[in-house]
Amino acid sequence: MKTSQPANRPNPPRWAQRLLTWLHPAETLEEVEGDLDELYTYWHRRAGKTEATLRYVLNVVSVVPPFVRRRQRQEEYRHPSTLHPAMIRSYFKIAVRHLIKNRVYSFINIGGLALGIACCLLIAMYVYDELSYDRFNTNYDHIYRLVEKQKQPEGIFDVAATPGPLAGTIIKDFPEVERVTRVGRWSGLLSQERQSVESNQMLVVDPGFFSMFSYPLLSGNPKTVFRGPNEIIFSEAMAERFFGTNWRQKNILGQSVKLNNEQSLMVVGVAQNPPVQSHIEFDVLLPFKWLERNDEWSMKWNSNSYHTYVQLRPDPAGGPADPTAFAGKIRSQLKRYDSGNETPLLLQPLSDIYLYSKFAFETDHGRRSDIAYIRIFVTVGLIVLLIAVINFINLATARASQRAKEVGVRKSVGAQRVSLVMQFLGEALLMTGLAVLVSLVLAEVLLPLFNDLASKSLQIPYQLPVFWLTIATLIAVVSLLTGLYPAFFLSSFRPINVLKTGVAGHFSNVQAGRSFRKSLVVGQFVLSITLAISTIVIYRQLAYMQTTKLGFDKAQLLYVRLKGDLRGKALRLKSEVEPLPGVAHASVATSNMVDMNNSTTIEWEGQKPKDEFLITQMNVDADFVKTVGMSLVAGRNFSARITSDTASKLGTYLINETAAKRMGWTPASALGKRVKFWGTDGTIIGVVKDFHFRPLHVSIAPFIFRFRPKDFYFTLLVKTKPRLVTQTLTDIAKVYKKLDPDHPISYGFVDQDLDAQYRSEQRIGRIILCFSILTILVSCLGLFGLTAFTAEQRTKEIGVRKVLGASVASIVALLSKDFLKLVVIALLIASPIAWYAMNRWLESFVYKIDIQWWVFALAAVLAIGIALLTVSYQSIKAALMNPVSSLRSE
Amino acid sequence: MRRTYLGEFEEIVLLMVAILDGEAYGVTVSQEIEQHTGRQVTFGTVHNTLIRLEEKGFVNSLLGGATAERGGRRKRLFKVTALGSRALQDIQQLRNELWQLLPPNTLKLGGS
Repeated sequence: MKTSQPANRPNPPRWAQRLLTWLHPAETLEEVEGDLDELYTYWHRRAGKTEATLRYVLNVVSVVPPFVRRRQRQEEYRHPSTLHPAMIRSYFKIAVRHLIKNRVYSFINIGGLALGIACCLLIAMYVYDELSYDRFNTNYDHIYRLVEKQKQPEGIFDVAATPGPLAGTIIKDFPEVERVTRVGRWSGLLSQERQSVESNQMLVVDPGFFSMFSYPLLSGNPKTVFRGPNEIIFSEAMAERFFGTNWRQKNILGQSVKLNNEQSLMVVGVAQNPPVQSHIEFDVLLPFKWLERNDEWSMKWNSNSYHTYVQLRPDPAGGPADPTAFAGKIRSQLKRYDSGNETPLLLQPLSDIYLYSKFAFETDHGRRSDIAYIRIFVTVGLIVLLIAVINFINLATARASQRAKEVGVRKSVGAQRVSLVMQFLGEALLMTGLAVLVSLVLAEVLLPLFNDLASKSLQIPYQLPVFWLTIATLIAVVSLLTGLYPAFFLSSFRPINVLKTGVAGHFSNVQAGRSFRKSLVVGQFVLSITLAISTIVIYRQLAYMQTTKLGFDKAQLLYVRLKGDLRGKALRLKSEVEPLPGVAHASVATSNMVDMNNSTTIEWEGQKPKDEFLITQMNVDADFVKTVGMSLVAGRNFSARITSDTASKLGTYLINETAAKRMGWTPASALGKRVKFWGTDGTIIGVVKDFHFRPLHVSIAPFIFRFRPKDFYFTLLVKTKPRLVTQTLTDIAKVYKKLDPDHPISYGFVDQDLDAQYRSEQRIGRIILCFSILTILVSCLGLFGLTAFTAEQRTKEIGVRKVLGASVASIVALLSKDFLKLVVIALLIASPIAWYAMNRWLESFVYKIDIQWWVFALAAVLAIGIALLTVSYQSIKAALMNPVSSLRSE
Repeated sequence: MRRTYLGEFEEIVLLMVAILDGEAYGVTVSQEIEQHTGRQVTFGTVHNTLIRLEEKGFVNSLLGGATAERGGRRKRLFKVTALGSRALQDIQQLRNELWQLLPPNTLKLGGS
C-alpha cells in the first residue's frame, strides 16, 4: 500500500540527498542511494520522521569521503587488442577505402609528402657525403693541422700556412706527437725524352705523409720513399698520362724524369689516386728534401707557405688524445724559435678541414666545402617536409566530418580512445609508407638536378644499411608528425553528438579545428614567401655583382699565363702578339685582375710613426692602363720612353684614389710625392680611378702599380677586338708555341674568372630558387585541397545563393576571400623575417643592393597570384555548378 | 592455500550474506545485523565491509532488482563465493577444535 504510492512515501531531506550525490563516488552512487532510501523508509516506519532523518544524515555522512571505501573499477568487457589481426584487417580495409574514395586528397597528401621526403632523402645523402670527407684515413681522429692567427695592420687573419722549419721542431719538442708532415704546393712540367706533361697538382711532402695519411702506394715502399732528395711519386692517373695506360707493364720504378727540363728525379712509387672524399688532392708528389735543396726559403722561419700536419699519439686507452693540452703547449711555438713572432699557433682537427676552412691570402688549397651549404640545405629541406606535413594535418582535420560517423559507431560498439588513436596513426603510417615509395622514385628522377645544384655525383645508396635505417626513421617520424594531431582530434568526438545530430553534432569541434588550420596555412605561406623574397634578393645581388662597374673594362679581356722562362721574356711575347689583327691592346702584368691580394707595407712622405697599412701591388707596363681601360684622375701614365719610369733606383709609381686618401693626399697633391716600398724609393706620377681588384665582399683597398720591365711578369693581358676572339686565340697560341714549346698554353677570360668568384653565391641562389619553387608548389597543393573541401562542404549554400540570384563572380569571391586573407597575413609576417634574413646575408658584401619595397610587392603579387590561381579553379568549378543538382539531393 | 585474515565484523557480515542467501544487499545486511546483534552500525561500515570482502574474493556481486521503493535504482546483491564459504567453514572448524581443547572446568571457574 505504501510502496505503490510514491507520493505518500516519506522522503529524506533533500539537502542530504544532494550532499550524497555530490560527494559519493560515482561507481556506487546508484546502489547506495537506493539502499539509503529504502533504509529511510524502514526507519520512518519504525521510529518516526525525526529519528529517521537523523539516522539518514548520519548514514549519509558515513558513506562520503573520507569514510567511504571506493569500489575498484572492474573491466566489464575485455576489449580485443588493437593489434588483433581482425582489427588490423578492418583498419586497413577502411584506410584503403578512404584512400580510393578521396583520390584527390590522397594524391595531394601522398604527393606532397613524397616531395618533402624526397628532398629530405637527397639532402641527407648530401650531408652524409659531406660529413664523410677524409674519414678513409685510419688516423682520422689523431690528425691535426697547425694554423696561425696572424695579426696584420688590417686586422687578424686566419692563415693555414706555417714556416718550413716548424715541423722539425714540433716532432723534436713534443713527445705526444707521433708523426709530422709538411705539405706544400708546387708546379712544373714533367718530361722524359720527347714526352712532356704538365702537372696541376704537385705536392711537396715529408716521408711521414705516407704513414700519417692513408694514401697507399701501388708500387714502391712507403717506408723508404722520399729519404733522398731526387725522388718523385706519381699518382695512378699521372702515371697513366705520362707512361700510357699500360704503365704497369713498363716497370717505371727507377726511371728518371725531368722537372722543368732541369733536374732529374727518379720515380720511386705510384700512389693510388686520392679518393674523391679527400681534402688533399695530388697527381705528383715530391720530397721536401728536394725542396730544401732548391729553395732556401723553405728552411727559413719567415717563410710561410706550407701546411704542417701533426698526428698525436693515442691516449693509453687507444682513443684519440685530448688535443687541448697540446694546443696550449704549441701556442707559442713560433715565438720560441723566431723571436719577436707573436703569432699564435692553433690546432685544426682533420675533421674540420674540409668544411670549416676559411683562410686568408689563399693559404688553403685543395677541395673545400662550406658548412653553410649543409645548414642551408638542411633548413630548406626541413621546411619543405614541414609544409607537406602541414598539408596532411590540414586535410585530415578538415575532412574530419567524413570520419565522424565512423568514430561515433566505433566508440558506441566499444572502441576505446587508444584503439582509435592507433587506427589513425596507422593510417598516417600507411600514407607515409606510400609516400616514401613514391619519394624513392622521385629522388631517382630528381637526382641529376640535385647533383647539379650541389655539384656532387651522388648515387642513392640502396646497398647501405644506414640508408634503410634512415628511411625507417623518416617513416616513423613523419607518420608521428602527420598522424598525432589528427588522431587525437578525430578520436575526441563524442559518439552521442556525432551520431545524434550528424555533421552539426561536432560543429564546435570543427570550428576549433578551423582556426588551427588557418594558422597552419599561414605558417606554410610564411615559409614559402620568405624563401621567395630571399630568392629575389639573392638574384638581384648576383645581377648587381655582374653588372656593377669595376673601374676597368672586363669585356673581351683575355689573359695568358706565363710559365717558366717566358716570365722573363714577357715583353717579347707581347711585342709579337700586339701586331695580330684581332688584338686591340696588349700588356704584361703580374696578375690577371681577379682577386689580387699580393700586398705589402709601404712608407711614404709624411708618414706618422706606427701608422702603417697593407698596399696591394702589381708590376705592369706602359700599356696596362690602356689595355684594361682604367682612367687616370690625376697625373700621367707610365711611359716606356721616360727612362726614369723604369729606373731601378728611383722609380715611379701609380696609385689608386684610396691609396692617395689613405696616405693623406688628394689625387692632385699626391703627384710627385715620395714613397718607399720593397726597399725602393720612387715618386708618384699618377693616380688612377678606384677599381675593384677583389670580390665585392670587401671594400676597395689601397693599390700601387710599379713598372719594372726587367722583373718577372706572370700574365699577358690582351684586349681583343669584337668578333675576332676565336681567330685571335689561335693566333696567340701559335706565337706562344713558338716562344715556349715546352708548356701548353693556358689562358682565360677575365670576365669569366670574375664571375667565378661568386660561384658560391650563385649556388646558394640556385638552391634557394629550387626550394622556394618547391615550397610554393607544396603549399599550393595543400591550399588546393582545402578549397576543394570547402567548396564541397558549401555546395548547398552555393546552390541556395545561386537560386536567390548570386552571380558567379560573387560566389568565386566568397570562396576565395577566406584563403586570400590568409596569404595576405602570411605576407605581412614573412616580409620582416625575409628582410631581416636578407640583410644579414647582404652584410657579407660591402657593395650591395638596397632591399627595395618593390621586392616585397613582387613577392606579394606572386604569392597572391599563385594562391588565387589555385583557389579559383575550385571556386569557379563550384560556382558554375547547377544549383538544381546540388539542391535536389536532400 | 593462503589464509586471508577475516576481522570480527567482516566475519559477521560474511555470515549474514550467507544467511540471506541471494537476498543480501546493503539494506538487508544492516537490518539483519541490527536485529540479530543489537548493534547500531552505520550504513557506511556495512558498505565498506562488503566492498572489502569482494576485493578479498569472499563474495561477488551483481546489480539488479530495482524496485519503486528505491526510486527505480538497482541494488547490488551479494553472494558468498567458494572461497568465502571455505573461509567461514575454516573459522567454524578452528573454533570447534579450540572448544574441544578447552579444559572442562575453566569456563565454570571464570564464568558465573
